[in-house]
Amino acid sequence: MTASPVNPSIVASAVVYLALVTAVGIWAAGRTKSAKDFFIAGQKIGWVVTAFATMSAAFSGFVFMGGPGLMYRVGVASLFICIPVGFTSGFLCWVVGKRLRLLAGLREIYTVPDVILIRYGSRRASGLAAVAVIIGTIGYLGAQIQALGILIEMVFGTRAVLGQWSLPAAMILGCAVVVFYATAGGMVAGVYTDLFQGILMVAAAVAVFFYCFQSGGGLEAMSRSIVGSEAFGPSHLDPFGTLPVMTAMGFFFVFAVGLLGQPHMLHKFFMLSDPRDLKWMPLVIGLTQSACILIWLGIGLAVPALVAHGRMIALVNPDQAAPQFLLSFTPPILAGMVFAGVLAAIMSTADSFLNIGSAAIVRDLPKAFGRRVPNELLWGRVAVVGIAGFAAVFAFVYQDLIALVGTFAFGTFAAALAPAVAIGLNWRRVTAAAATASMATGMVVNLGLEFLSKQTFLDWLPSVSLKAGVLPAAVSLSASFTVLLFLTWLSPSRPQPDLDSDVDFVMDL
Amino acid sequence: MLVCSWFSGLVAELCFVLLVMAFPAALIALAVARNGKLGPLWLPLAALTLILEACGVAILMLRGQILEAPWFGGFPVAAAIQIYGLWLGPLLLVALAYGLTFDRWELREEDLRRFNARRDRNGGRGQ
Repeated sequence: MTASPVNPSIVASAVVYLALVTAVGIWAAGRTKSAKDFFIAGQKIGWVVTAFATMSAAFSGFVFMGGPGLMYRVGVASLFICIPVGFTSGFLCWVVGKRLRLLAGLREIYTVPDVILIRYGSRRASGLAAVAVIIGTIGYLGAQIQALGILIEMVFGTRAVLGQWSLPAAMILGCAVVVFYATAGGMVAGVYTDLFQGILMVAAAVAVFFYCFQSGGGLEAMSRSIVGSEAFGPSHLDPFGTLPVMTAMGFFFVFAVGLLGQPHMLHKFFMLSDPRDLKWMPLVIGLTQSACILIWLGIGLAVPALVAHGRMIALVNPDQAAPQFLLSFTPPILAGMVFAGVLAAIMSTADSFLNIGSAAIVRDLPKAFGRRVPNELLWGRVAVVGIAGFAAVFAFVYQDLIALVGTFAFGTFAAALAPAVAIGLNWRRVTAAAATASMATGMVVNLGLEFLSKQTFLDWLPSVSLKAGVLPAAVSLSASFTVLLFLTWLSPSRPQPDLDSDVDFVMDL
Repeated sequence: MLVCSWFSGLVAELCFVLLVMAFPAALIALAVARNGKLGPLWLPLAALTLILEACGVAILMLRGQILEAPWFGGFPVAAAIQIYGLWLGPLLLVALAYGLTFDRWELREEDLRRFNARRDRNGGRGQ
């Protein structure tokens, strides 16, 4: 995104939004009295709030800004990243949701590495999960803080005033707001700001879709304009037209199955006050996620159609698709709402990662070494500030590197955690050794392939290129499932004798 | 899937599509089966598998035929299958199947009673 003239409606929306989330942080601070409150909101959250929090944590600013830009560049093939939301909410609840919530009702479970520790009885496996969480968190968080800085810089026009100090100042401002409410109110603040942020995201996306529909003359008119244009052509609306099948299907696989390893989503199940609340969560999560995706589809169709009609000039930078459309074709108040919605999407993801990252440092790593931190609430708050500071500095100093790390964080979580959690909670035969090997494989293969295929910082490292179109994340996710299933198959065909009795009980339900 | 990614051509692509589309339903079946039975979920799971497989294969077979193929719901048929079939089709099927079978399969009264009894024995943590 580039700097644009300051728009008073957008500035006002952003100021109101930032003031509201700060107020939620102040309110939630008084309700955060223990580590349980801080890390899992006291396990007192109802299903609607949990569903919205899950949805808004899952969607970062990418859905609002990156998605439409990607669709402008590669057409409907980009939708393979987001259309799994049609079934992933039910998929998540069936495969892991119930068992995670029931286990958290029987034992002190605040994090995914806690689950790994109880399921496998292995500090090594749990420690490895904590390392995966920390690596992914730094990547995700750094990318969110960087995006937050760029967006705040654009909304408030700080570059004209602060020059080269504009981006760090904007990053500090955005980071300070998230850190304030995440530190003061922990997950209580996290889920209630997520609820507000989620409602804002859905409302903004639906309203923008309506304007896309209107400005383009309807779905068929937009589609026919795109198909008939020289700039885009028929392949733009061919699901396998612009990307290799392996890439498009790889996206579908990673963003559907890989969801089972995303700690910021799994974490939400621990907070539910009553396991029966799971009943209608898939419906709420699925509908709200689908509503948000309307902005990806709407702007992704409208902008190429408007370019084909000559009503917009062709974009040099596809990431300008959403901002250009919003500023040119929607009322200022709606544009303001969407920019606040993007801030919301970024912050809701960031606050989740601050919380799980601090839990990984304060609870999971010490437990992997057989130790406990005495005052987890205090040190959890300190860790939130520390992680945010580290991720912000890392994001600012290594701007290219953080973008790279951010892009493969989802794949890292997926490959490292999905098989051990999803298969391990549903099949008693999976051993600690198989889970540990699967996590190590997922992490090493994913980080290795992604880093070696994309890095340009260290000339002396070899470059690895996969067969055209094959995604490193899909390879690493398949590899970690294969390792887990193969090693389990090699193990004796009976349940593990040392399986924790609570885990055994929950797997029976 | 891992093997498919080392090959090229339609057969490898078809195998990859079939496996990717079958994987979610297979994982759900592993999670929800009680004594090897899927109970009331067999029908929605079969429908989900069928929808995902049929849509995936249809999109693959319709590749490159945007101009010749008919249109549906504002899109060329391949894109319509992707949007209405892969995205919106499973949305209500899965969410409603989960909600409507929840009390008699996913978490029955009997399960909840056993869970509450165990939780109380463990010291009354959580729900």
